[in-house]
Amino acid sequence: MDISYNWLRDLTEITLAPRDLADRLTMAGLAVDAVHEKGGDHVLEFDLTSNRPDCLSNLGIAREAAALTGAGLKLPDLTVKNVGGRAEQFTAVEIEDADLCPRYAARVVRGVKIQPSPDWLVERLQAIGQRPINNVADITNFVLHELGQPLHAFDLAKLSEFRIVVRRARAGEKLKTLDGVERELDEQMLVIADAVRAVAVAGVMGGEETEISGGTTDVLVESAYFDPQSVRRTSKRLGLQTEASYRFERGVDYEGVRRAQDRCVALICELAGGTATEDAVDVYPTRITPPTVRLRPRRVEELSGLSVPAEESGRILRSLGFEPAEGDVQNGELSFGVPTWRTDVKIEEDLVEEVARVYGYDKIGEALPPSPVTGEYLLGDRRRRAARQVLTAAGFNEAVSISFIEESSGVNESGESRFEPVPGLQKVEGEGAFVVLSNPIIEGARLMRPSLLPGLLEATRHNFNHGTRDVRLFETGRVFAARAASGDEDESRPSEVEAFALLVTGEALEEGKAAGRAADFFDLKGGLEAAADAMRVGELEFEPASVRHLREGQSARVRLGGQEIGHAGRLSEELAARYKFRQPVYVAEVNLTALLATGERPARYTPLPRFPGVARDVSLVADRRVTFGEMRRAILSLGIEECRGVALVDVYEGASMPEGKRSLTLRVEYRADERTLRDEEVDAMHARVVSALEGEFGAQLRG
Amino acid sequence: MSSEAVDYDAQIASVREAFEREFERFARFRAYEGTEGLSLDEAEALSREVKELATRHTAKKSAVSQLMKLVGRVPAEERARFGQLVQQVDKEIRGALGDVGVALAGRIQLLKTERERVDVTLPGRRPRRGHLHPITLLRQRIEDVFVSMGYAVEDGPEVETDFYNFTALNIPELHPARSPQDTFYTTDGLSLRSQTSTVQIHAMQRRRPPLRVVAPGRVFRRDTPDATHNPMFFQVEGLLVDRGINMGHLKGTLSEFVRRLFGPATRTRFRPSYFPFTEPSMEADYSCFKCGGAGCRLCKGSGWIELGGSGMVHPNVLRAVQIDPEEFSGFAFGLGIDRMCGLMYELDDIRLLFENDVRFLEQF
Ligand SMILES: [Zn+2]
Repeated sequence: MDISYNWLRDLTEITLAPRDLADRLTMAGLAVDAVHEKGGDHVLEFDLTSNRPDCLSNLGIAREAAALTGAGLKLPDLTVKNVGGRAEQFTAVEIEDADLCPRYAARVVRGVKIQPSPDWLVERLQAIGQRPINNVADITNFVLHELGQPLHAFDLAKLSEFRIVVRRARAGEKLKTLDGVERELDEQMLVIADAVRAVAVAGVMGGEETEISGGTTDVLVESAYFDPQSVRRTSKRLGLQTEASYRFERGVDYEGVRRAQDRCVALICELAGGTATEDAVDVYPTRITPPTVRLRPRRVEELSGLSVPAEESGRILRSLGFEPAEGDVQNGELSFGVPTWRTDVKIEEDLVEEVARVYGYDKIGEALPPSPVTGEYLLGDRRRRAARQVLTAAGFNEAVSISFIEESSGVNESGESRFEPVPGLQKVEGEGAFVVLSNPIIEGARLMRPSLLPGLLEATRHNFNHGTRDVRLFETGRVFAARAASGDEDESRPSEVEAFALLVTGEALEEGKAAGRAADFFDLKGGLEAAADAMRVGELEFEPASVRHLREGQSARVRLGGQEIGHAGRLSEELAARYKFRQPVYVAEVNLTALLATGERPARYTPLPRFPGVARDVSLVADRRVTFGEMRRAILSLGIEECRGVALVDVYEGASMPEGKRSLTLRVEYRADERTLRDEEVDAMHARVVSALEGEFGAQLRG
Repeated sequence: MSSEAVDYDAQIASVREAFEREFERFARFRAYEGTEGLSLDEAEALSREVKELATRHTAKKSAVSQLMKLVGRVPAEERARFGQLVQQVDKEIRGALGDVGVALAGRIQLLKTERERVDVTLPGRRPRRGHLHPITLLRQRIEDVFVSMGYAVEDGPEVETDFYNFTALNIPELHPARSPQDTFYTTDGLSLRSQTSTVQIHAMQRRRPPLRVVAPGRVFRRDTPDATHNPMFFQVEGLLVDRGINMGHLKGTLSEFVRRLFGPATRTRFRPSYFPFTEPSMEADYSCFKCGGAGCRLCKGSGWIELGGSGMVHPNVLRAVQIDPEEFSGFAFGLGIDRMCGLMYELDDIRLLFENDVRFLEQF
């Protein structure tokens, strides 16, 4: 909202320079964004908070300025020059829907001459960017900005039966508004009508047919109080925001209705001639009474930290228009009648704010609160940070994706989810899949992400499109699944789980250096294991399995301590085609909430070996389906105490292998705690190992 | 003397001559300058030859050593003079060879150093590392500051019920913030939290006062994405409830926070404002970290940057979680992490934050 400094000076005896005034007002809560110099005047650009509709006018700002500086307030002259006849002789007002219009006043001026406004009026309006039209229209606009009360002038002669009916619009009723647009109204909108038809959208805009024109002689000046919610709704529904609707929907001063009307009528008589009715038809069936709010002076200090004497608090409140009322004087309590324009003030805390902001927030002394409590991080945060650190050290960048995804990214043509959720997301298997937005803002982005993978795949596509082929990303964040409906609102809240996802594609990195080969499943797995290790959980187990969004034969379920917590593998051909990926992409996702819920693996010391160990390699040809993991488990389960570990040396799947076979070279380490093992002992143990592998897996020793 | 009298002087002269004849080709290397122009191979070959020369002229069987042995046989009256002369020849020979040796060794050292000289401006062999997201970096710093000030980090659901997102926060039934124009709703009638203030309510239900918590997290508002807006962004909420808490504590806390984040010279100012869930309310500004308050493009010439909204917890909010506002008071604040991020890194388009372009991420 723009305010002209010169205009403001018509209403106050303020002496502060424009910029100083702007600073003073800003520090009292009426934010001035900018001050522009404009032809001998200064325009103050306000950005007001929604609770202060009373400041949407010169009077409102003048009142604040006066209270802040002690300068006097000069109210405009309301004396009407030519008065004759009672309003009811010329018009009538009927309010059918008093819920939407608590007050409506109509006053008539007869015999006006419509012509351009005088220079001073044009100047005032132009200073704040308003376009002059004619004297009567300009006067209503002038008073709106001067006093904050929107007004409307009708050409009385064009009102059927010269009367006003305030009612809800009829179904299908149409009205051509002042901007020349034919508008279809609905039955919830309030209109101003004459005996037969709607002539204005109440509080929003007048109609074209009854507007003031060159030939107008008799004017009906409307001043009213409309229900803020109703005006907001109508304005929004019609897509029409006006200076009037902006103020009505925030709330105008219901006791200022007549004053603004008087001011308007006085100006019309002065500038357009004519005779005004001596009164108005003022329909105000239920008088609105402002609240009285108590103030215990000690509360000012208790809440603000300012020690303001009770007399000073009283002075500040009176300067803002609060009326001292009967209070419980014995307890030193004060009581104040809230001015009718301050609809935002309802409770004692509101009064404390009034006192504090005028007294000055800058006078509040700063202190740190005494601390009876200690700080703590979110559970598992230290482990989360450790994982992030390890992953970045391993060359992964952290992604943050928007929490909603396009429906087509999450669901296939048959309406099935494209991604298998992380275990534990759905509390009950198959439970109502997605959390769906009813009002998305990005076209199509209706689903709350059921997985972090669509976000990472989208990011990968973006990077590919910008020439980055080597992408390593991880992300942590909530994923969502709907819950079965329940009577309890809290219970029907969706399931939210913190997930952790990893993506690798392009050239692999080894020890921080380009490895000169394409990344594969094991780069993904390594990243996941490194992260798990950093979070100090037990060993992750990978079990070959089919996973919906992963490629058969290169996918695994991930378990921790027997509990399934995620999946990892190469992106399925179907999804790769959908994203137009021409290089393999590997993705993993785990339930981080579940992972962190498992206890932290303690660091435990075992004495360093005192005797050397012996490593024996064995190369075996076995069926490709026989996994390293199975062989390893088989060896360890033999119960050979001296067998300390099984490592992989090499996998050979070359052309010389028979179809469906591969060769694995394993290294088994043997060591005793109390002595050096003799060769014959190791030979015997190793022979047991080899024969177990041969027996259990049909493996053949390779030369 | 007899015929077998020996001409000792002549012997010395002949030894000297013999050495000088052989040494002649090395003479110019006695000074370092003489070695300039020698290649490493030449210098090393010469160095070897000089060593051989030294062996021949200084070892036990060398001519000088023979002269040394003669000294004892020289008549007593000449012995001293002869001895001195032999000593001198020996010293001359050793001196000459030593000088050449040092000069050549210097030359060799220099050439080797040159040959192995590295271009220290070539890129280091550094491991490729990944980078944390700028929001995580800032969020962790903010958490660290508040934890050190005694706050517990809290979180709450991102999909919320009306009660937590609005009602308990004193946002009236018909408030525009509740409209589907501004807030995302799910088809089940729940909403995406529009501010982290929801965690205030969860936190006060979980912990009773005295309490102090901060809650960083995602919030959602129906803003069309553009260079300065995203429909999702990150906030951090702060809440402290105790006996005897006033606005001075709030000012002190936020001032301490910005000093720890942006440096001890950072100043703050507080302006009255309006939020449904605080009363009195205030907006906090801090002096621009770029220009120090003098005014620059970043702070739009004002010298101040908005920190966020704050205020004393509204009594209705306390009552919503059964805390007596006559007994306890508290303050709350909400800071925009993305906005701060955008300013700190001077991002010209805030949408970059969620595009996950590797070229962007690797800058942090
Ligand atoms: Zn600046």
